[in-house]
Amino acid sequence: MPNAIAIENLTHAYKPGVPVLRGVNLHIQPGEIVGLIGLSGAGKSTLLRCVNGLVQQTGGSCTVLGQAVESLPEGSKRLLRRRIGMIFQEFNLMERLTVRKNVLIGRLGYTATIPSCLHRFSAADVRLADDCLAQVGLAGLEMRRVRDLSGGQKQRVAIARTMAQGAEIVLADEATANLDVLTKDDIMELLQNLSREKKVTLLLSMHDLPLAKRYCTRIIGLKSGRITFDAAPDALDDEAIADVLDRASVPGAG
Amino acid sequence: MLNRILSFLFGAALLVFVVWCFLAIGTQVHLTKYGLHHGGDYFAKLFPRSQADWRYALKLGPDLWQPLIETVQMAVVGTVAGMLLAFPVSFIAARTGSVPGPVIAVVKTFLNMARAVPTLIYALLVIPLAGLGAQTGAIAIGIATFISLAKLYAEALESVSVGPIEAVRSAGGNAPQVFVYAMLPQVFPLYLSTTLYSLEYNLRDSFVVGIVGAGGLGQKLSNAVNLFEWLDAGVIIALVIVLVNIVDYFSYRVRKVFS
Repeated sequence: MPNAIAIENLTHAYKPGVPVLRGVNLHIQPGEIVGLIGLSGAGKSTLLRCVNGLVQQTGGSCTVLGQAVESLPEGSKRLLRRRIGMIFQEFNLMERLTVRKNVLIGRLGYTATIPSCLHRFSAADVRLADDCLAQVGLAGLEMRRVRDLSGGQKQRVAIARTMAQGAEIVLADEATANLDVLTKDDIMELLQNLSREKKVTLLLSMHDLPLAKRYCTRIIGLKSGRITFDAAPDALDDEAIADVLDRASVPGAG
Repeated sequence: MLNRILSFLFGAALLVFVVWCFLAIGTQVHLTKYGLHHGGDYFAKLFPRSQADWRYALKLGPDLWQPLIETVQMAVVGTVAGMLLAFPVSFIAARTGSVPGPVIAVVKTFLNMARAVPTLIYALLVIPLAGLGAQTGAIAIGIATFISLAKLYAEALESVSVGPIEAVRSAGGNAPQVFVYAMLPQVFPLYLSTTLYSLEYNLRDSFVVGIVGAGGLGQKLSNAVNLFEWLDAGVIIALVIVLVNIVDYFSYRVRKVFS
């Protein structure tokens, strides 16, 4: 089976001479749930953003769903991004817009510029958005403003947005960091179901190691921009954790 | 230690400067005494003191209706024209990463320098070009509004958080979609409140520029004072106070709805 994500010798530096990623090699199969762990500044967020081309890496290659992200022109990059959903620690929803409108943002890549800028979406897209909301347990809240929702509900809206996108890969940047213990589990279960039922590949940067061990099928440890651990969750013992989270190695960028 | 000495010297210099200002103005105290003596009389004349005065004041109403509308029109036209010009310019004055730094620096420097010029001065500069009347007032207000709103809109754009922009881009959104879905919802309340504040100020300004001949109630007030028609002046000032407060109230309500 071809890789969902194939990263070869990926390097990136926001400032010359201060590398954040230093030669990352990573191959992820479709349907895998990969937890990305490491200290703040280890390069987790940058790695995720190289996958969907929000950050253009300084070296190496990143092939996603069979396309080399770095060599795509912006228009093709946008077409590829439709197939890669992303959810965030701060939710990054449009607080003043309704829940449904936020999910419809997942359809922007499929809608012509002028109608979408006038907030006009097809009836099929609206039905799809409502259906996605029902699947994440938010039926009935379509017309609520996002700012009136709880943190857990907001993250569900973000997940519904990636579903409306028809995403084959979902990148999650600390998506459970701002949630309480029970809600973290709810969100991880939702993502796990998404992966199982729709074969969505998940790449999740996480700080919560027990949560990562419970839900991920594979754990990647990133230290100072390099992968130092790559194994099944069972192999993540105290020694491995101590090595990945070795503070002496923090480069202070990320 | 050096910092402390510098702070002390700066504080002392500031104190000397303030005392110097007071002393300079204080030497003109005879003017204040004169003013208190005669000014009281003038002030009293602004108000109706008899039934005949009240009847006269009420009769003034229809004559002032047209200038009052003109004052509002100047403020509205100036605000809307300034807003429409400021909107596109704010994009080349904002540090959002899409415009080269030197361009931003030039536009910002121009806006900062032009902002130092009060609306009244623009009115005086426009009079030779457009003549006396409401058009001049509207142009002057439009220029001042454009300059202040361009800067404020640019600051609003700079304060936009990048999270929602990343979210829309990561969903495959293009630049116009990023603007409409990620930026506009963030800047709209700021745009609206700064524009409404600007309308409130412009209403006062349209009164003031009228005094130098740009039409409206300001011009009527100027005429009344020059002809010593104190009661007329009083009625005009009362109208302005009522008008400004009505607009302030509605502006406040609208801002509250969208905050």
